[in-house]
This record gives sequence, C-alpha cells and structure tokens, in this order.
Amino acid sequence: MSDNIIIEAQGLVKRYGDPSAGSGRGVEAVRGLSFAIRRGEIFGFLGPNGAGKTTTISMLSCLLEPTEGTAIVAGYDVVKAPGEVKRRIGLVPQELALYPTLSARDNLNFYGRIYGLRGRTLRRRVDEVLGMVGLAERAGSAVEDFSGGMKRRLNIAAGLLHRPEVLFLDEPTVGVDPQSRNGIFEHVERLNADGMTILYTTHYMEEAERLCHRVAIIDQGRIIALDTPRKLIADLGGGIIHLGVANGMAEGLLEQIRALPEVRAVTQFDGKVKVEATRAQEALVGLLALFNRTDTDITSLEVLEPNLETVFLQLTGKRLRD
Amino acid sequence: MLHLHQILSITWKDLKILFKDVGGMVTLFLMPMMFIIVMSIIQQGMFDPGDSGQPRRLPVVNLDSGNLAAEVIAQLDNVDGIEVETDWEGEPMTREQAEALVTDGKRAVVVVFPADFSERVEERLDDAGARATIELITDPAVSTQFIAPIQGMVLGIAERVAETALAPARIEAGLAELLAYLPADAQILLDKMVVETEKTNVVHVERVVPPGMGVEVFPDSYQQNVPGYTVFGVFFIVATMAESILREKREGTFRRLLAAPLPKPILLAGKLLPYYLVNLLQVAVMFSVARLLFGMALVQPVALLVVSLALAAAATGMGVLVATFGKTQTQISGLSVLLTLTMSAVGGCMVPTFVMPDFMQALARFTPHGWALQGFQDVLVRGYGLAGVWPDAAALLGFAAVFFLIGVWRFRFD
Repeated sequence: MSDNIIIEAQGLVKRYGDPSAGSGRGVEAVRGLSFAIRRGEIFGFLGPNGAGKTTTISMLSCLLEPTEGTAIVAGYDVVKAPGEVKRRIGLVPQELALYPTLSARDNLNFYGRIYGLRGRTLRRRVDEVLGMVGLAERAGSAVEDFSGGMKRRLNIAAGLLHRPEVLFLDEPTVGVDPQSRNGIFEHVERLNADGMTILYTTHYMEEAERLCHRVAIIDQGRIIALDTPRKLIADLGGGIIHLGVANGMAEGLLEQIRALPEVRAVTQFDGKVKVEATRAQEALVGLLALFNRTDTDITSLEVLEPNLETVFLQLTGKRLRD
Repeated sequence: MLHLHQILSITWKDLKILFKDVGGMVTLFLMPMMFIIVMSIIQQGMFDPGDSGQPRRLPVVNLDSGNLAAEVIAQLDNVDGIEVETDWEGEPMTREQAEALVTDGKRAVVVVFPADFSERVEERLDDAGARATIELITDPAVSTQFIAPIQGMVLGIAERVAETALAPARIEAGLAELLAYLPADAQILLDKMVVETEKTNVVHVERVVPPGMGVEVFPDSYQQNVPGYTVFGVFFIVATMAESILREKREGTFRRLLAAPLPKPILLAGKLLPYYLVNLLQVAVMFSVARLLFGMALVQPVALLVVSLALAAAATGMGVLVATFGKTQTQISGLSVLLTLTMSAVGGCMVPTFVMPDFMQALARFTPHGWALQGFQDVLVRGYGLAGVWPDAAALLGFAAVFFLIGVWRFRFD
C-alpha cells in the first residue's frame, strides 16, 4: 500500500445469516468492494438506503468483521489489529450517539475519557471541538434542549476529540434543516483543510457533489462507479429526458429519435421513453418537433439535468431516494 | 490502567444520568422507602409480638371485689412489652368504656375481670367444679393469630395467681389432719418448710441457643418490612439497567463506544458497576431510614454487608439477563415488573413466608428475593453473624452467576 493511501479495501464481503439455510448463502449486504482512499481526501459513498454504506463503514471501523476480503486502515489490518485502527479513526454514526440528559461538555468529557484523555489535555480538547462546531456558549446546556442541527454538530465534535487520522461520517445531515446542513459542510471542509481524511456516506447527491473529491456510487452492496463527481457527470453527458406517450409509439419512431443529433441512447419502458442526451435542452427541441410531425401525444415530460442523481439513475434505473 | 479509567468513566457517566432521572430515583429510592414506612406502621399490630421495644397497650377492666384480679393485673403489667391500661381519662375504666374502645377501633382487645372473680376462685377449695371467668372483649375482625398469644398469656398468669392463692389453704387443710399425729416442735419445722416452698419455684426454665446463633423468633413489623421492601426496591434496578442498555443500543452510543479502543468486556463492566453501586446505596439508605425513624437495631454490620453485596450481584445479574430478552422498552418494562413483583411476593418481601402454605415456602427458596430476605432477617431478627449468613450469601451469588452467564452468553451490543 502506497504511503499516500490511508484506506485500502480488497474484495470486502459481509454476509449475514446462516449460509446453509434459506438461499444457501445468507444475505450479502456488501459484495466484494475494492477501493483505495488517499490521505487528505474527502471520499464519498453515495447510494440509497440499504445499499451497504453503513455496513462498509462498520467493517472499516472494526465494528463488524468482514466475511471475506481485507481492509487496511491507517496502515493496520482491521481484523488483525483492530485496537490500532480504532485509535486512529473517529466514527460519527448516523444516530445521534449522545446522552440527552447530560450537557454538551459532559458528553464530550465522557467520550474523551474513553480515548484516555484526562485533566488539562481533555479540557483543552473539549474546548477546542466545542469552538470548532460553534457550541462553546451552550457547553453547559443539556443536549435534549438542543436543536437538531446543534445535536448533529455535537455528534461530529464527539468524533474529533482524539484527533483521528480518518473520520467516518455516516449520513451526518439526516434530519437537519438546510442552514444547519450548510454549517456542517463548512465544518467538514475545515477539518479536511487541516489534513483530516474523511469518508462521507450520504444518499443526497448534492452533498457528494459539493464535498467529495471522489465518489463511489454504491448499490446493492457493489460499487457501480468510482471517480470524481465531475468525471462521473461528464461521462453521463448532458442529461436524461423522460417522455410519456399516450397511444403507444408509431412504428419507426424510436429509430427516428435515435437519429437526432443530440441523442446518445433511447430506451422504452412502461409506456415511457428514456432519452439520454449530450445536451438535454437542444435534444428536447428536436424531440418535440418529431412528436409533432408524427402526431404522437405526449402525456408527461421530465428533463433531468446532469448530476450525480442522473448518473445513479443512468447506472441503476432507480432514483437515490427510491 | 486505561481500562480501569474507562470502566470508571462509564460508571460516572451512568450515575450522572441516573441521578438526573427523577422518575428513576422515585422508583429506586422513594417508592421502597414509602413502602417501608407505611407498611411497617400499618402492619405493626399484625406482626408485633410485644418484644420489639414498642409496648402493646392492653386495656383491663377490674370489677373484682376481691384481690386476685389486682394480682393478675400487676403480673400482666410486669410482662415485657405489655403496658396495662386500667384507667381511662384519669378514672378506673368501666366495662362500657372498654366496649366503646373496641367498637371504635381504638383497641383490638380488652380484658375484663368480673366482680366475682376472686370469690369464684376461692370457691374451688370446696367445689372442684367451680370456675372463675375472665372476659376478652375483641373486635371480631381481628385474627385469632393476634388474639391467641394474649389469651394464653392472661390465662397462664391467672392460673398461676389462682393456684398460688389456693395452695396454702389446700396444704393447710391437708396438714391439719397430719398435725394431730405429730409432736409440737415438728409442727414448727413443717410450717417453716411450707413458707420457704411458697417463696421459691422448684423448677426454672431458661432458654439457651447454640453458640453463634440468636434466639429463633419471628420478625416484627420493621424486621419484616424494612428488609422485605429493601429487597423489593433493589430488584427494580433490573428495569432501569435493562432500559439503559437498550437505549445505548438504540441511540448508537454503544456503536460509537465500540469504535473506540474499548474492549467489550470493559464496556459491559462499566455498564454493571454503577447499578451495583446504586443497589448498595439503596440498602444503605433504606436501613438508615429504618434506624433513624424506627430505631431498628443494625447488628452484625459485616454480615449485613456480605448479604447486601451478594444481593446487589444477583439484582444486577438479573438486569443483564432481562436486557438480553427485551427488544423494546415495553418488553423490558413488562418483563421486569412481572419478574420482580412475582419474585418479591413469592420470596416473602410483601407477605412473610411463615404465614404461607408449605409449598409456597418451598417455592421462596427458588427466588433470590427469598434468600436475600432470609439473609437480612438472619442478621436483624436472629442476630446471626457472618457464619450464619454465608448460605444465604452463597445462594445469592449462585443466582448472580447463573444470571450473568446466561446474560453474557446472550448479550448483543447492537
């Protein structure tokens, strides 16, 4: 593993249940993931709920043992040296893993002590992370009195006390208002600017697009694309157009659509036509003219601009929030 | 060293959470304390045999025209734990006043000596069938269990007084026939012997027990209810502890802690220790309240501590066990209440085992509650030391071991 790589996974598999029962192989939540994350990178796992993102993070943070494959985190094997891995990582779970009746400071003191911090060092680190997430003035308040956004920020702060080399952020913006979400983005960017490697899971494509240097699109336990957001979108092209047709397609119409200059591919499904275009708006003009000429009634029209959502749709035929 | 630090950190965190939880504090401390106070007071009359330092007031109406009733009353007044009341509002009590006391529920029993009491006793010298009667006016709702000891005590003293009163006359009558055949100096010697015999009892019974053991007695109201409801309250930790474990799983805090360099056994130890300490604090608070409010004697502190340590181990063990069976808060609450209330009742915490049928008394041996209560009562009631309570403590530790082993075997951190 090169010095520049901080996480490397090879053929990671997580299978639940008894392979001898039912299907014969149990349920595979993660199916042979291989990837490498560079030091100082914000690496995103983008995928719908149940895609296997949290299971992968659980294996990388030594909470679950892989059924197959290997993973090296910060130079240590997650199975052979979990203690060394755990000292070098910080996990911010999807849940608000805080004690609501305790104050923000009490929560942080507790988590700091678990990592062996004490005395003046502990106090300094707690003050530091409270300041970092903008909660210094509410340090003495009970967490149950915080807004959703404040709780999320504190949830992140608790993962930073021991200054980890790698921070796992598992869906850190679930249930957060847009303003707080922007605040969290800024914190993540600041941490990264200070040199922290971040593995960020989300099912919001805007977050992955905005924050991540590289994104692995994951579905049903498999990585289906991995690159920078810009490259993934560029590969898709100019967008997707969905057209609903009333009385079925006239013979040869599909071929005529395919022949339009801005159209890359056409597929037909459930009475709809899906058109992948190099430039969606220009393709739409040609399409409407063609449908007019052939007297084809359009019942619905949807233009999907190029983004990671359309990349996911293009790759899986599903939306991220399906 | 880091692991000890981690255990203490988890313990301190859980204690903070626990002491901020007003509902939890009420359940663990206030509820058993109120049960102890209320039940001890209202059941005082049911349990108290009269030797607990709280004298039982026994109203007596003396209508006897002779002296024998007065002698019986004087001897009753000398009985430990009995305070005879012969006056009411500064005047000798009348039969009507006595009946009113019972009717109004102020007294459960009143003793009445009729006007011919002494006369009827003396008639016995000439008439072997003559009998003097003492009336016990009682509330029909009061149990025979309560009345029987009083009835026995009054009858015993009255018989003794009557026999003592009749004995000289009987001896004198018997000797009168003999004296006619004896010389004068022999008569003087015989009179002296009779007087000496009347002064002292030939036989005296003294109760002794094997070394290291106290006198076998039944508990009074405090000795039943203080340890009973302490044990009852201690096991309420089961729900509190199991719910805390469930919350840690549900809210992701266990997940976060396990992603830290914190081994699972250390995390589990940190989750057990605070509840174990709270159990010990519960026992200390309940017994201190009993000492302060009721003056309950806390003898053999080392033996009490050993029983308390073993009891706390059994209760926290049961907490781990319940945590592995309950998947939701409702399941945990239901299971905890079912287990703790049933075991408390069967174990004798609410109703003493000595009034239970034999099979229920046998069943009590299968509950940690029964052993804990017996352990405490062995110390508080029977005065046993460490040597006397080790079987109780060993049984409790046995329960703790079984609960822990099954609980740890089934335990899941997620």
